[in-house]
Amino acid sequence: MSTDTLKRRGIGSVGVRTPLIDGVEKVTGRARYTADLPAPGALCGRLLRSPVPHARILSIDTTEAEALDGVVAVCTGADCKIPFGVLPITENEFPLAREKVRYRGDPVAAVAAVDEATAVRALKLIRVEYEILPAYFDARKAMAPGAEPIHAEKPNNILRQVHNEFGDAEAGFAAADLVREKTYHFAEVNHAHIEPNATLAEYDPQRDHLTIHTTTQVPYYVLLHVAKCLEMPEAHIRVTKPFVGGGFGARTECLHFEIIAALLARKAGGTVRLLQTREETFLAHRGRPDTDVTVKLGMTRDGKLTACHLQATQRGGAYASYGVITILYTGALLHGIYDIPAIKHDGRRVYTNTPPCGAQRGHGTVDPRAAFEALMNEMAAELGLDPFAVRRINLLREIPHVTAYAQRVLSYGLPECLDKVMQASGWAERRGKMPKGRGLGLACSHFVSGTTTPKHWTGEPHATVNLRLDFDGAITVLTGAADIGQGSSTMAAQMVAETLGVDWNRLRVISADSALTPKDNGSYSSRVTFMVGNAAVEAAKDLRRILIAAAARKLEADPADVTCEGEIYRVAGQDRGLPFSEVVKAALIDTGPITVKGTFTSPPEFMGDKRIRGSAIGATMGFCYAAQVVECSVDEITGKVAAHKVWVAVDVGRALNPLAVEGQIQGGVWMGMGQAVSEETHFDQGRMMHANLLDYRVPTMAESPDIAVFIVESIDPNGPFGAKEASEGMLAGFLPALMDAVHEAAGIRPTALPLTPDRIAALLDARP
Amino acid sequence: MNLLPDFRYARPATLDEAVRLKGAAAGTRFVAGGTDLLVNLRRGLGEPSAVIDLSAVAGLAAVRREGDSLWLGAAVTLADLARHPDIVSDFPALAEAALSVAGPTHRAAATLGGNLCQDTRCMFYNQSEWWRESNGFCLKYQGDKCHVVPKSDRCYATYHGDIAPVLMVLDAEAVIAGPDGVRRVAIASFFREDGAAHLTLGPGEVLAAVVLPPQQDRRAAYAKARIRDAIDFALAGAAAALRRDGPVIGDLRIAITGTNSAPLLVATGDLIGRPWDPDTAAVLAKLLRGKANVLRTTLVGAIYRRRAMQALARRLMDTLWEQET
Repeated sequence: MSTDTLKRRGIGSVGVRTPLIDGVEKVTGRARYTADLPAPGALCGRLLRSPVPHARILSIDTTEAEALDGVVAVCTGADCKIPFGVLPITENEFPLAREKVRYRGDPVAAVAAVDEATAVRALKLIRVEYEILPAYFDARKAMAPGAEPIHAEKPNNILRQVHNEFGDAEAGFAAADLVREKTYHFAEVNHAHIEPNATLAEYDPQRDHLTIHTTTQVPYYVLLHVAKCLEMPEAHIRVTKPFVGGGFGARTECLHFEIIAALLARKAGGTVRLLQTREETFLAHRGRPDTDVTVKLGMTRDGKLTACHLQATQRGGAYASYGVITILYTGALLHGIYDIPAIKHDGRRVYTNTPPCGAQRGHGTVDPRAAFEALMNEMAAELGLDPFAVRRINLLREIPHVTAYAQRVLSYGLPECLDKVMQASGWAERRGKMPKGRGLGLACSHFVSGTTTPKHWTGEPHATVNLRLDFDGAITVLTGAADIGQGSSTMAAQMVAETLGVDWNRLRVISADSALTPKDNGSYSSRVTFMVGNAAVEAAKDLRRILIAAAARKLEADPADVTCEGEIYRVAGQDRGLPFSEVVKAALIDTGPITVKGTFTSPPEFMGDKRIRGSAIGATMGFCYAAQVVECSVDEITGKVAAHKVWVAVDVGRALNPLAVEGQIQGGVWMGMGQAVSEETHFDQGRMMHANLLDYRVPTMAESPDIAVFIVESIDPNGPFGAKEASEGMLAGFLPALMDAVHEAAGIRPTALPLTPDRIAALLDARP
Repeated sequence: MNLLPDFRYARPATLDEAVRLKGAAAGTRFVAGGTDLLVNLRRGLGEPSAVIDLSAVAGLAAVRREGDSLWLGAAVTLADLARHPDIVSDFPALAEAALSVAGPTHRAAATLGGNLCQDTRCMFYNQSEWWRESNGFCLKYQGDKCHVVPKSDRCYATYHGDIAPVLMVLDAEAVIAGPDGVRRVAIASFFREDGAAHLTLGPGEVLAAVVLPPQQDRRAAYAKARIRDAIDFALAGAAAALRRDGPVIGDLRIAITGTNSAPLLVATGDLIGRPWDPDTAAVLAKLLRGKANVLRTTLVGAIYRRRAMQALARRLMDTLWEQET
């Protein structure tokens, strides 16, 4: 688009629908993903994985593999004695297993060879002796007395237990007119990001330097863990993130294949390309755990909640990963959406011999929220109340609000979200009067706009953005934020364009290259728009100050009197002004090229309360809120549940880019839809049965409902231009909204998800 | 593994040449669209010595009238089957079945012959080489144990093709070319119920075409149960062709897929002359249950697949019965 057209349409300004800055590259196929990077002469890396779910490694013999012509390096657990893990308190995973394997697929050895065929042949020559141990694929069996510990330091196989009570839950239930308790089961799901895992590792033996290009959401963590595991100085490692085909949380931690690629490259003294198959990408996992949620709610006759008690048990898989945080999140976001006098929470995160779970969109909050809202709907029906009325009577009463978990709510658009979807869905006229086999359901949900407590305490700001301005007048935004398709590069550029008032096409973004861009904590917990956005605004303000000062010098005016509009700097009231290029030249006199820095740090009052154990998790500067109505049908012949239409209203604070916000909201609803209707992992005696996109049933276009998005702008006082999170908060609500719609359609109340035809058919057949 | 195994590759221009190449060496496979074979080969399911690409064989992708029959070349793509005017008008059930296979990109490449000859499937078979090796392989390939029926001496992998049952109820025939010339067999005889060897094709033979006879006043339909409305194979499928004689069933063919190691015709003699009512539906359900042998070959359990097969067949009959008034 020409600059004039862009200007006329305001492309790049806050609130204007702005195509993603890297969109054309992706849709034309020009974008290079990790596997596409040219690397002539790169060796091919391949992994040998454990064929058994739980065993002691008695011996590994790699001599034959090493002797094979064309094999350049073979690595085993002996090559790395340092464990890794995303949380400093639970680093218990080795890139290549040492002493034990803990899930079927745990990497045991790795080969770098001149080509793939040789690497595959070499793997077949590696001999491993195992002493088989009892294995557990179910949280309850893993916790049973006498079970073999998967990790010696946790004899009961419980990674973390959480117990919290705020207010008096017993008194709350005693005061209720209706108390109900129900257990829901949520199958494990995976992100099913379309780009399989891949790493290109280049080692320079002369300088002991390592460059890693990898499919990550957090290049910073990759750098930290590779340095640690390889016992190399961090200064010797460069990590770049090429284009990434989705993450959804799967890539928010350094994963085994990234460290293994580095180990192989160093041992081979060259470049190794380690591409993972779809099956291996599923094995690396880090998805949402299989979870049992028992929720108990007390309600008065008019629907007011008196108390909540929620118990969650997660089958966490073989290693800790994010487990401690995931289980804390099952309790942390019981707060901050409704006014509940007493909240009790018990959580257990359990080790099992299945691939490790981790963070997935809506981290830890989705299953408990779905169970809570489902029971809320069921109790509303029992009391003869409308689900909307039950939400409204429980809304937070006053904003600002501080939750019992010490979270501060400064903006709260949920009431407006409810109004919007009630009206748009025709709820008042249609609900309860749907034709046979069709139904409507409602639910609400929320999510944090970034965690305010980084996992690695450094004392540094939470986000830093550099802007570079040189003689050519181009402004380069340098950000460590990893754009994985969510649009963070576009967002950062918009913050700069809006603050400086410059032409959209003047900006370029360089992101996620540790040699060039400032460190960023990573693309997780929906933190980037809030934190990096604010840092970008700060940097742009600094550059604006410099440019205005330069213009003032040239115009012989007081900087306070100089304004900039449409790239023309002028003293108020004067006709003629200075064009941007003139001002840049003036600004560079004596100083040369300019680099400015903007940072953002969450104030301590948003970081939880030290007196409340675990409250660092779920601590945030603002919640995104969502309400959605789902319309579905249930086919009594096939048992098939189909979502036809979704009306979703989301309080995103401010839609910086409504086009991107709509896309994120639709994606969030859609991912909830996948978990609700068809997605689940399957294990048979620890064997992963679903490791392909045929058996792991991500919905197709055929299943995609029409999603009508309504943006609610509550203008958060701390978000950049008022913006909050816009991609996770709406996910959880889809599940219970669909469950309630299914009840209206077919008179059944499912408690096990996903609502696949076999589960629904069984419920339909069991009706009296 | 990602890599295809090494094999010789040929792309003959005539069917005779294709047959000659096939007979010339053991372990030779045909490929057309490749949507079934290549996926399997990349998973280490087979190591053919040679692959014969049929995409250049003259006339193999043609649809033509032969007297009152319709000839469908084996290399007609499923996308073409679904939109060919003669098929859409005269055999809508076939077009419908073609459209229900996988997704649009598959159908653009996949062929009629490839769909009919597709390999049987099982959750213990359609896995990577590492996966199967860790599981001791299986009776269908490289192993000696069936993980579905542990003490079995035959493979129970399931046939999931959508086109075959429709062709069966339409009384179609397969035209098979071989070293001794051309032979024609009913589609039902093209298959046998053995998961490891479900086609009756001889080692040097190739499926050349399918012949559809005129249907007179029979009306056919196909339905498949699945979780997703695209991509998924049939968890169970049923095809029916019905001629209604006033108040009673005049003629009826029913075939099922996704249940056994071959698509199967269900003997419907007991239903002829009866009205389509709940009693007849119960008889049909019993016949279906007697014919189907649904085992644990897919991630979705056998109970549901049996239920879905019966329910879908009943719905097909309801629909056809109403259409025929």
